[in-house]
Formats: sequence, C-alpha cells, structure tokens
Amino acid sequence: MFIAVTLAACIPDAQAAALDGVLEIHSAYVSVEGGVFLLHARIEYPVSPAIRDALHDGVTLTVDLETRIERERRFWFNSGVLDLTLRRELDYHAVSDRYLVRDVRGGTQKSFATLEEALADLGAVDDWPIMVEPQLSTGNYRISVRAGVRRGRLPTSLRALMFWTDDWHRVSEWYTWSLPG
Amino acid sequence: MVHVVAPGITAPVAGKPRWRALAFVLLWAAVAVGALLLLAKSVQNSGEFSRLQPWILLLNLIGVVALTALLARKLTELVRAYRAHVPGSRLTARTVGIFGALVVAPLLIVYLFSLQFLNRGIDSWFHVEVKQGLNDALVLSRAALDLRVREYSRHTETLARSLINATPEEIARRVYEERRATGALEMAVFGSHERVVAASLENPLESLPSRPPSDLLRQVSERRAYVSLEPQAGGEYLIRTAAPFTEAPSRADERYLVAIYEVPTQLAALSEAVQHAYSQYGELAALREPLKSSFRLTLTLVLLLAMLAAIYGAIFSAQRLVRPVQDLIEGTRAVGKGDFGTRLPLPSRDEMGFLVHSFNDMTKRLRRAREEATRSQQVVENERERLAIILARLSTGVVVIDRGLTVSIANQAAGAILGTDLSAATGRALPDLTAGSERLGQFVAALVVRFAAGREEWREQLELEGASGRRVLMCACTPQLGADRDLGYVIVFDDITMLLQAQRDAAWGEVARRLAHEIKNPLTPIQLSAERMRRRFLGSMSPADAEVLERATRTIVQQVETMQQMVNAFSEYARAPEMRITRFSLNQLASEVADLYRSHDPRVEIRLELDERIDGIEADRGRVRQILNNLVINALEALDGVAAPRLEIATRAEQGGDARYAVVTVCDNGPGFQRELLGRVFDPYVTSKPKGTGLGLAIVKKIVEEHGGRIDADNRPEGGARIRVVLPVTDSTRSAAGIRERRAELRREIV
Repeated sequence: MFIAVTLAACIPDAQAAALDGVLEIHSAYVSVEGGVFLLHARIEYPVSPAIRDALHDGVTLTVDLETRIERERRFWFNSGVLDLTLRRELDYHAVSDRYLVRDVRGGTQKSFATLEEALADLGAVDDWPIMVEPQLSTGNYRISVRAGVRRGRLPTSLRALMFWTDDWHRVSEWYTWSLPG
Repeated sequence: MVHVVAPGITAPVAGKPRWRALAFVLLWAAVAVGALLLLAKSVQNSGEFSRLQPWILLLNLIGVVALTALLARKLTELVRAYRAHVPGSRLTARTVGIFGALVVAPLLIVYLFSLQFLNRGIDSWFHVEVKQGLNDALVLSRAALDLRVREYSRHTETLARSLINATPEEIARRVYEERRATGALEMAVFGSHERVVAASLENPLESLPSRPPSDLLRQVSERRAYVSLEPQAGGEYLIRTAAPFTEAPSRADERYLVAIYEVPTQLAALSEAVQHAYSQYGELAALREPLKSSFRLTLTLVLLLAMLAAIYGAIFSAQRLVRPVQDLIEGTRAVGKGDFGTRLPLPSRDEMGFLVHSFNDMTKRLRRAREEATRSQQVVENERERLAIILARLSTGVVVIDRGLTVSIANQAAGAILGTDLSAATGRALPDLTAGSERLGQFVAALVVRFAAGREEWREQLELEGASGRRVLMCACTPQLGADRDLGYVIVFDDITMLLQAQRDAAWGEVARRLAHEIKNPLTPIQLSAERMRRRFLGSMSPADAEVLERATRTIVQQVETMQQMVNAFSEYARAPEMRITRFSLNQLASEVADLYRSHDPRVEIRLELDERIDGIEADRGRVRQILNNLVINALEALDGVAAPRLEIATRAEQGGDARYAVVTVCDNGPGFQRELLGRVFDPYVTSKPKGTGLGLAIVKKIVEEHGGRIDADNRPEGGARIRVVLPVTDSTRSAAGIRERRAELRREIV
C-alpha cells in the first residue's frame, strides 16, 4: 500500500507542460550562394511566464534546429544524405539583467534587454550553410526542418534520471519541402 | 507440483521440473547480466544510457508486472492449497512467511532509509542559506557594477551636454581626449540616421564604431540617456552608455554620444563567477522536485523488483524444499492404500534425497514381498483347485471335518456313497445334514462313537443300512497334520459293497464248479452201485430183507437224483457259456414272457408298461429271456398267498453320458424283501421262500453283469419288491467298457 502510494506520488503530474505555447516553423527555405546551400528559417518559440521564471532562476534553454536532407527514391525508402543540428542556448544573465543568446558551435553570444527580443533572435536563422553543391548528385531531395526546445545544460547523469519527469522538452512538427534536382 | 507417480507408473519424472528451474535461473541470469552490461555502458557513455533508459524502464516495468502476476498466481495456489489442507501447504506457507519477513523487512528499512536520505540530501543541496548567500553575492556584484555603470553614464551625459555647442572639430577632439582620459573602448557621436559625427576607438584596426543596438536607438530617440551592461562571450563585461546632446524633445538636434567602457577584469571575473554560480544553482534548484521524484520512482521500482523477486524466490524455494515432503506424504498414502508401485523422484543428494531413496527402497521391497505372497497364494490356489478336481473325480469319498464335525471339504463321491448331496455342505456341521439320509446318519453316528472313545486314527469297515440296501464302507480316519493339532480329521471311505458282492459271487461260482465236479462224479457210481446191489441181492433175499433193500436202494437212487438236480443247478450257475449277441426287440420279448406267465397263472394280473423308444437291443436273447423268466418266477413265488396279486413289467430307455441303456423294472405287490436280506438278495442261497434253489436271482445278476449291466433291488414305498435291471443297448458299449473281462479277472483274482 505504502509502495503504491509512493509510486503514484512519483508519477509526473498531469499539469500542463512547462513549454506550453506555439512551437512551429513559420517558414524555411534554402538559397544557394557560390555553391553553398544556405538555410533560412523563421521559428516561433513559446514564451510564457513559466519560461521567464525558469530563466530567471538560472535555467538555460537549449534550442535545436534539426535539418535532415534525404534523397528521394521511387521504390524504396529515402536515403539520408545528412543530418545537421544548429544548437543555440538562451539564458538569463542575472548580474546584468539581460538575456543571452549563444551559438554553441560558433561561440558567439548576443545579449538582449527583453525575452521577446532574445526569442525573436533565436527564431531567426539566416545564411546557415548546410551543404555544398558537390554533396548532391542528380535526383530529387527532400529537406526537413524541425525545431526543439529543452531545458539544457543539465549534467548528463541527472538528465538521464530526469527523463520521465521532464516536461521541459518539446519538438515541433517536421517542416518538409522538396528540392528539385 | 506433485511428483507422486500414478499407480503402476514407476518412472520418476524429475527431469522436467529440473529443466524448468534451470531455464528460470538462466533467464534471470541473462536479465541480470544484461542489466549489468547496460549499467557498464551507461557509466562509459551517459548519452547512450539516456537513449536506452526508456527501454530499461520498460523492461523493469514488464519485470514488475510479470513478477506480480507470477506472484499472484503462486499466492493463489498457496492459499487454495492451504484451505484445502493439501499436505505440505502449511509448511510451505510458514516457510514463505519466514523467508518473506526476513527479506521484506530489511528491504523496507533500507528503502525508507534511502528515501529519507535522498530527500534530505537533495534538500540540503538547496539549503536556504546557500541561496541567500548567492542572492547577496548577486546583489553585491550588481551594486559594484552599478556604481561603475552610473559613473560612466553620468560622465557620458555630462560630456554630451558639454558638446552641444561645440564645432565638429572640437567634438572630435573632445571625444578623443575623453576616451583617452576615461579609458573607454569606444566613444562616438552619432547624428540622425546613425551617421557617425565623431568617433574614437581604442582598437586602431577598427575604423568604425560598433553599431548601436536597437533599444539604444529607441531610447535616445526619446531623448533619454541609455546605459547597459553587456556580458561578453569571454566573460568580460562592457558598459554601453549613450546620452542625447539635448534632452528637450522640441530641439532638432538628434545627436547623441555613445561610449563603451570595459569593466575592470577583476570585477568582471568576480561578477562572472557569481553569475555562473547563480545560474548553476538555479538550474539545480529547478531540478529539485523532479529529481526527488525520479529518485523515489527508481528506488521504488528497484524495491518492488527486489521484493517481488525475493518473495517469489521464497515461494519457489519453499515449494522446492517442501516438494519432497509432499511427495513422501502422497507416497505414504498410496502405500497405505496398498499401491506399492509408487516411486518418488529423487530431489537431490542430500538428506531428503536419502529419505526418498529409502522410501523407494521400502516400496520396492514391499512390492516384491507382495508379489512373492501373491505368487505363493496362486500356487496354493492352483494346488487347491487341482486337489478339488482330483477329489471331484475320485470314486473314493473324502470328507474333511474339524473337531466340531463341521465340514470343510466333502467331494461328490462322498455324497454319492452316503446317499445325500454334500455339495453345499461346506461350513455346516455334519449332524445337521443327516436329515433325509439314513446312511449319513449312521455314518455320523459311527464317527461320533469313535471320536468319543478318543480314537483319532482308525481304519474300519462300516456297514450302513438303508432303504436301497446295505452298504459296506471301508473307512479310514486320519487326524489332519499341521502345526495346529486341532485341525480336524480327514475321513476317506470306499463303497466296497460291490467288491464284496463280486467276491461272494466268485466264491459261489467256485463252490458251484467244485460241487458240480466233485459231487457229480461219485453220484453215478453210487447210483449204479445201488441199482447193482438191488439187482444182485433182491432175488436172493428174504422178503423182509428184500423190502429193506428195495427201500434203501430206492432212497439212495432218489437222493442221488435229487443231488444230481442240485449239482446241475450249480453247474448252470457256474457255467459261463459263450454269448450269442443278436439284435432283438426287448419289448417283444417282455410281451412274450408276460403272455407265457399269464396263461400259466391267470390269477395274477400281469401289467406291461413298455417304452416305445426302445426299438432294439444287442444282447443274448436266450439269456435275457432267462433274466425275465427268473424275475417273473421270483415275483410269482413271492405273490403266493397274496390277495389280488399284481405283477408289473416296465421297460424304459435311459441315456447315461454317451451310452444308451434299456431299463427293465419288475415290481410286485407282495411282501417285499426282508430288510436284513436286502443287501444280499442276489447271493446264492439267500431266499426267504421254502421252495427253490436260491440261485434264481444269483443267476439273473450273473447274466446281467455278463451283459455289462447292473441290477439292484429294493422295496417300493407302497409295498412290494422292485428289481431294476439296466442293460446297455449296444454291444459296443459293454465291449468298450470291457466289463466282462474285468469281472472275469476279478473273479480269478479272488479265487
């Protein structure tokens, strides 16, 4: 009986997820400049008091933009050409009272006075080089983009323990379009 | 799982459960090894672990559900068995209880302690004082930086106001001097549309000042000063200040001064450290509750798995432990019911195994002993049956009685000899069976007399009188041999009446032959001598002497003639002429004889009762006629002086086994045979009549026996004598029997 009660208490509450709100890709396209494929996307990330409070408490949000390029095949499954992830972090800098947006790979960092500005900056992806022309052969290609938000920068061991009570993880639908050969 | 083998099946079936147990252990070992591998993998690569973790959780949950189901099943079985008082269920329940308590109690204690420890440990990480200290540090950092910010902001505002009326050259100069004086990284004056009016940069490689951010532009457009503290990627801090030249919105002067300062390295480092700590703490604090839940859930799952597995293991072990005991109980019951074919599977090589082995050994020995007993019993039974068959076929009467004269065995011949049916006599006292049998009564009386006199072993001739004549039995009594002396007696007896009769017949035959031979020879010389004497001396004698001689010689001659007649009769009796067997009609012969005597003595009523089924008989017609003549003469002589004399001659066909017989019965309504003579009426010279040689019936008997038949005489219940002659219908019957030869041999032996 005791164990049952404990077990019930441990199961995550049916409360709304912390990342409630719109999470979708408004637009995405690829341009080619000098043989380099550049991805442009506009993503709307959720904003809520919960997120603001969490950020103020020191939580870092990790935002991933996953890109997948597949070559279409007529009689079989599509073959994957590449999988790329653009990872950015958003956190609140308490000492300066500013929101920081960091590009994890590039190491660049921008600060914003408001969360909205920071999220707008996060949601704007421009000129992200995803591949070069020689990587493609003839045929049709399918490009899919998906955005994901999660509570980031947890120690991995803790994150492993957290996975079943973590409501700080969301992904958008795939945004897919074809790239004619 | 009961391993008691059904009756008759003796093969132990321990293989299957062993395989099951082995499979079970292997499965669990595989799961444990898998879990260990996953753990090892997770230690090496946390990312891998997090990827696998849903599967691990699923596996655990499946494990819990499966274990719960198994446990529920086991417990239900256990409860049912307990209620049904299945042997061994109480022991199992007790063992499970003890094992369960031993396992569950420490597990629960460890679980509660761990839970408490986790809660407190995690709570202690986020201690209030730590948070307060961090907040204070943050406030302090902010205060320290604020001081700088305000100072730079004020300076920028002052400088901007002082440059309102300055010329562009002067502005450029002042900006340059001020930047150098304050150590700013950048100082620039912008006009409308972000046009750079004047700028001074610390970095000589850059020619243009950095682009003002949008919030700065927004603020200065509203004629308000701007200041921001901007953390940089390398842990540095920039203070960006901006101030419009004039604060009056009505003025058309849109110029503003932007200055960027660097926070001193030490202060920046300290602030960054505070920021980092704050951020880390915040992130961890947000995890507190989920972390606790996760730990609780994990712990609970582990506890549940361990506990269920332990209880299941306890039941499993208890059942394994108790199974041999159950088997033994079932086996003992089976043995108690007489099933010695029970063999129990050997559980192991321990003491229990030894016990089970001993049990199996015992049942084996019991089975062998029983088989031996059954075999012996069968042998005894066979012997008994054989004895019964022999007894039944025996012509000698055998009666086995105990000391209370209760019959335990009486064969058919005994009943036939004693003139009663003894087939249902077993278990009954011999005296109770005497009703209706005169001979049995006399037999029992003779036994009682001898037993009363203390004689246990004797061999004597008993004479029993009855309606059908006198019977002579050669009777031998022996006490039954055995460990118990009081078993009773075996009485063996033979009806030797016929034997004695035959002996007498033979003796008489011999007497007759000798008489005929020895007496007849001297008779003729005697007669001749007497006649010669008469002829010689009659004329020369005086009349008186002559008369004497005449009388004497006549007497001699008459007596010699009489003696000759007698000798002829004897000779006839002793004679055994060759029989001339022909086929003739017995009924016709009987009619002829009846007609002859009807005319001879019309006073006597002679009735004939003939069976039409007798069409012909193979025999010596003349001798059969003699039989009938003698019988009729015998009857007529007996009817002498009887009022309304009546004679009946009857023929009847009879079937005896394979042979057919013709029965001739001659009855009269005379005085009948004298009781004391009844057994000897066919002996020569046994007669109650004043006339006759006394050889009539003896000759009849002799002829009947020569034909392979038999004859008996008795008195009819309504009065009168009855003689019954049984003759075989065909000659082959008597030839096969070889009766004549046998009788001839018998006679010779006796002689």
